Amino acid sequence: MRARAKSSFLPGRAVKLFTAGLLAAAGGALAAEVTVDVRSSDGLPLADAVVFLESPAARAALRPARGTEIEQAERRFTQRVTVVPVGSEVQFPNRDKVRHHVYSFSPAKTFELKLYIGTPANPVLFDRPGIAVLGCNIHDSMIAWVVVVETPHHGLTAAPGRVRLADVPPGSYRLRTWHPALPPGAPALDQPLVVPAAGAAVTVQLPLAAAQAS
Amino acid sequence: MRGLPANLMPSLPRWSPRRLSTRIVVVFLGLLLLVQLLGFAAVRYSIAHNARALLAENLAFGEQVWRRLLEQRAEKLTLAARVLATDWGFRTAVLAGDTGTLASALGNHGGRVGASVSAMLTPAGRPLALGEGSDEHTLEALRQLSSLPAAEDGNVLALVDGLPHQLVVVPMRAPDLKGRVVMGFALDEGLVQDMRRITGLEVAVVVADADGARRVVLSTLAPEAASELAAPSGAEGAGGDLQLGDAPHLAHAVTLLDGAPGRPALQALLLRSIDDAVAPYRDLQATLAAITLGGLLLAGSASVFTARRVTTPLRALAGASERLGRGHYDEPLEHVSREDEIGDLAKAFDHMRVSIAAHESEIRQLAYWDRLTGLPNRARFRDAVRAAIADAASGGRPVAVVMLDLDRFKHVNDVLGYAFGDRLLKAVAARQTGHAVREGDLIARLSGDEFALLLPGSSAAQALAVAERIAEAFQAPLTLDDHTVDLAAGFGVACWPDHAGDADALISRAEVAMYTAKRKTTSALVYDPAIDAGSAETLSLLSELRRALERDELRLFLQPKVALASGRIVAAEALVRWQHPERGMVPPMQFIPFAEQTGFVRQLTLWMFEACAREWPALQALGVQRVSVNLSTRDLLDLELPQRLQAILGRLGVAPQAFCLEITESAIMDEPQRTLAVLEALSAAGFKLSIDDFGTGYSSLAYLKRLPVDELKIDKSFVMGMERDEQDAKIVRSTIDLAHNLGLTVVAEGVENEAIWRQLVALHCDEAQGYHMSRPLPAAELPAFAARWAERVATAQAG
Repeated sequence: MRARAKSSFLPGRAVKLFTAGLLAAAGGALAAEVTVDVRSSDGLPLADAVVFLESPAARAALRPARGTEIEQAERRFTQRVTVVPVGSEVQFPNRDKVRHHVYSFSPAKTFELKLYIGTPANPVLFDRPGIAVLGCNIHDSMIAWVVVVETPHHGLTAAPGRVRLADVPPGSYRLRTWHPALPPGAPALDQPLVVPAAGAAVTVQLPLAAAQAS
Repeated sequence: MRGLPANLMPSLPRWSPRRLSTRIVVVFLGLLLLVQLLGFAAVRYSIAHNARALLAENLAFGEQVWRRLLEQRAEKLTLAARVLATDWGFRTAVLAGDTGTLASALGNHGGRVGASVSAMLTPAGRPLALGEGSDEHTLEALRQLSSLPAAEDGNVLALVDGLPHQLVVVPMRAPDLKGRVVMGFALDEGLVQDMRRITGLEVAVVVADADGARRVVLSTLAPEAASELAAPSGAEGAGGDLQLGDAPHLAHAVTLLDGAPGRPALQALLLRSIDDAVAPYRDLQATLAAITLGGLLLAGSASVFTARRVTTPLRALAGASERLGRGHYDEPLEHVSREDEIGDLAKAFDHMRVSIAAHESEIRQLAYWDRLTGLPNRARFRDAVRAAIADAASGGRPVAVVMLDLDRFKHVNDVLGYAFGDRLLKAVAARQTGHAVREGDLIARLSGDEFALLLPGSSAAQALAVAERIAEAFQAPLTLDDHTVDLAAGFGVACWPDHAGDADALISRAEVAMYTAKRKTTSALVYDPAIDAGSAETLSLLSELRRALERDELRLFLQPKVALASGRIVAAEALVRWQHPERGMVPPMQFIPFAEQTGFVRQLTLWMFEACAREWPALQALGVQRVSVNLSTRDLLDLELPQRLQAILGRLGVAPQAFCLEITESAIMDEPQRTLAVLEALSAAGFKLSIDDFGTGYSSLAYLKRLPVDELKIDKSFVMGMERDEQDAKIVRSTIDLAHNLGLTVVAEGVENEAIWRQLVALHCDEAQGYHMSRPLPAAELPAFAARWAERVATAQAG
C-alpha cells in the first residue's frame, strides 16, 4: 500500500521540482532544503504531522495536485492525513468489498460520497484552504483528515517525526504545523521562518502529548 | 386405728406456700418458666433484631437494585441517544447549521426515543440549541452536565421543571466531535413498578424543594400513604422507622440529588412493612409458645407427681408421729416397703414406734406397779380409786378403801434384814390376795409396809368385815426360812361418799382411820370425823408455836446433873417450856410430839441451842462443864445441822465441847445411814454425843459400837425400878459396866431418892439426874439451886 501511495505522489514531486526550477530561474536564486522535526510536548517525535511554509510568493507559486487518492481498505482510510494544495481533486477509491459513505461536514469542504464501491466517478475538489475531517457514515471508526494548503512547500512527518521540504526558495515564510491530535477546530501552529539559501533545520514542538497522537 | 381429730393434725392448707410439695412444684415450674421465658425473650429479641437486620439489608440491597435499575435505564437511554446522535439524517439536520432546523431535529428525533427534553451542546458544553418542547427549565437542568467529559457518554439525574429526569449526554461525531446531544427522560411509573416487582419493596420518589416543601412525585404506594411521606413528620431524609397508616415500615433513603443550599433535593425512599417481614417469625413464636406451654404442663405434672411421691409419705409419717405422740402405738407405719430414703425413714419411724411402745409399757409398769410385790402402786391405786368413784357416781353405790400398815415392820427389817423384809412383804401381799379379795377389788402397795384395798360397791360395814377377815388371816404366824413372824397390822376403812368427796380425801381418811386404829391398838377402825378433829387443832397449834417463838414465849429450863463421886453439879440437861399467855405453862408432852411430827422441832432445837449458848457463861461460872440438848429424829436427818449449830456457837463464842447432844435410839433407827453421817459430823465438830433412854429401844450393840457416842443415859424406868426390882438393878449394873467397858460415861435418869443415889454410887455410875437433886428449873434459878446444893452436899459430907 505504501508503495502505491508513494507512487501516487510521484507526479506531485515532479511538479514541485519543476516549480522550484522555475523559481530559481525567475529569482536567479538557488532553492534550499528545510528540515523540520516535530516533537510532542514531552519531546517525542510525532508522525503524521503536517508541516507547510506559507508566504505570498509560495501562494503565487501554488499549483493544484492531480491524481491524489484517499483510498479505503479494510474499513480504514489507508492514509490518515493527506495534504493537498488548494484546487486539487482527490479520488476516494474503495478497495473494500463493502460500501463506504465518505462525508465531510467541515467548512473547508462539505461533501458526501454516497454508498459506493470502487472509485466514484467524480473526484472531490478541495477548493478552499482548511482542514476537512473525513468520516464514513457506515463505519463510525473510520476517520481521515485532508489538509488543504495554499503553498507548494508542504510535507508530512514520517515515523521519526521528520520531514524534508526540498526546493524551498530562501526567503521569509510562516512555518505552519498541524497534527490531527490537536483539538478539533484548532488552527495549525503558526511561526515565522526565514529560509536561508543554505536551507534550514527546525524543530517544532506541538502542544500535545505523544500518547494523544497515536 | 382411731381417727385423729382434724385440728390436731399439723395441717397446712393443701397448697400453702410453706408446703414442701408446693415448694417443689414452684421451684420446678419457676425454673422451667424462667428458662423458657429467657429463651422466648432471646428468640423474640433475635427475631426482632434479625428481622430488622434482614429488612435493613433488604433495603440496602434494594438501593443497589435501584441504582442498578437507574444505570440500566441510563444505559438504555444512552444507547438510544447514541443511535440517534449517529443517525445520518439527524446528523445532517443538526449540522445543517441553522438553529431552527437544529431545534426541530432535536425535538423530532428525541421524540422517537421517548425523550421528553432534548438539547445540543457545543463540545465545550455550551447550549447550542434546545429541542422543541424544551424550555428554560431544561437550560437550568443542563448545568448539571457541565462536569461530564465532553467526548464521552454520560448521564445525570436532574430536576426539569420540578420533575426528576435522567439526562443522558452523548457526543456527536461527524466524524470528529461536533457537539453533544442531550436527551432527558422523565422517571416514570414503569421504573418504580419495575423496582417493586424485582425487590418487593415499595418505592417513593420524593422531591424536597429549595423552600423545604416535600412532594412525592412517584410512588408505588396508595395515594394516601404516599401523601403521608410528604408530610414534614415523614422521613426527613435519613429513613428508619416510619408509620404509614397503621403499618410500621422501615424506610431506606437513597439520595439521588444532593440538595445543596437553595437547590432542590431528590430522594428515593425504599419501604418495607415491618409486619410483613416479621410475619413468618410470628408463626415460629406461636409454635415456641405452644411448646413452652406444653413443657410447663408436662413439668408441672411431673413435679406434682414427684412432690406427691415425697410428701404423701411424709404426711403419713407426720400423722403417724402425731399418733405416737398421743400414745397410739398399735398401728404399723406405711411405706416401710419402699426402697428409698422415705422407706428408710418409715422403717426408722416404725422401729421407733415399737421401741417407744416397749419403753412406755415398761415405764407404765414402773410408774404404776410395785416391782417387789407385783401389786399396783400408790399412783395406780389413786387412779383406780378415782375411776371407781367416777363409775360409782352414776350407780349410787359406795366405794370403800381399806388401808393397812404392818406393825413393827421396821424392826423386822432391822433384825432380819431387808431381803427378809422384802420377802415378808411379798408374803403379806399374797396373803391378802389369797384371803379377802373379790372380783373387781384392787390391792395395792402404797409404800414400805403400807397396803390398801379398793372395794368398789362395798359399804363401810362390808369393808370393815373384809379388814377384819384379813386381820384374822394375819394372826396365823408366817414362816419364812427358819423364822416365824407374827404379823399384825392396823386397818383403817373409809367410804365414799360418806367420808370423803374425792379419791385423795378418801385415801387420806382411810389412812387417818388406820393410824388411829394403830394408836388405839385395835385392829380395824372405820373413819370417824371425830378422830380427825385434831387435824384442825394441829394447824392452830402450829401457828401458835410459831408465834411463841416470835413472841419469846418459850422458856429454857435446866435440870442439873450431879457427879456421883463428888456430888458436884457438873452438867445440866436443857428442856423447853412454853409460857402460854392464856393456857399458862404448857407441858412439853403437849407440844413436843406435835413439833416432832410437823418438823417444827428443828426450830425448837435451834432455839434451845441458842438459849443454852447464851446461858453458857453463867453455867460455866457455876462449874457446869457441859449442857445437854435433845436432838429429835428430824434434827438428825438434817445434814446441815452441824453447820447450823456451829454458826450459832461461832456467833456467841462458845466451844462445841460445852454441848452434849442427846439422841434417842429410835431417832437413829429411822434412817440409820443418814443419821450416822450427821452424828459423825457433829462428833467431828467437837460435840459430845449421848444415847438417851438407853435400854428401851431396839438398838443393838453393833450400833452402839459404830456410833461416835460419849455417854449413855440409862432410861429412868430402870433406874426408878432398881430399888425394888432386882432385874432392873441388874440391867442398870450391866449397862454401867457395858458403858465403862466401851469407854463411855453413864448418866442415870430418874434418881428420885437417897437410896437410888447410894446404889448408883455403889455401882460407880458417873452422873445422876432426877428429882432427888432437882426438878428442871428455870435457867435463872439455877445459881440459887447450886448454892443450896453445895450447902446440902457439904452438910451431908459433914454429917
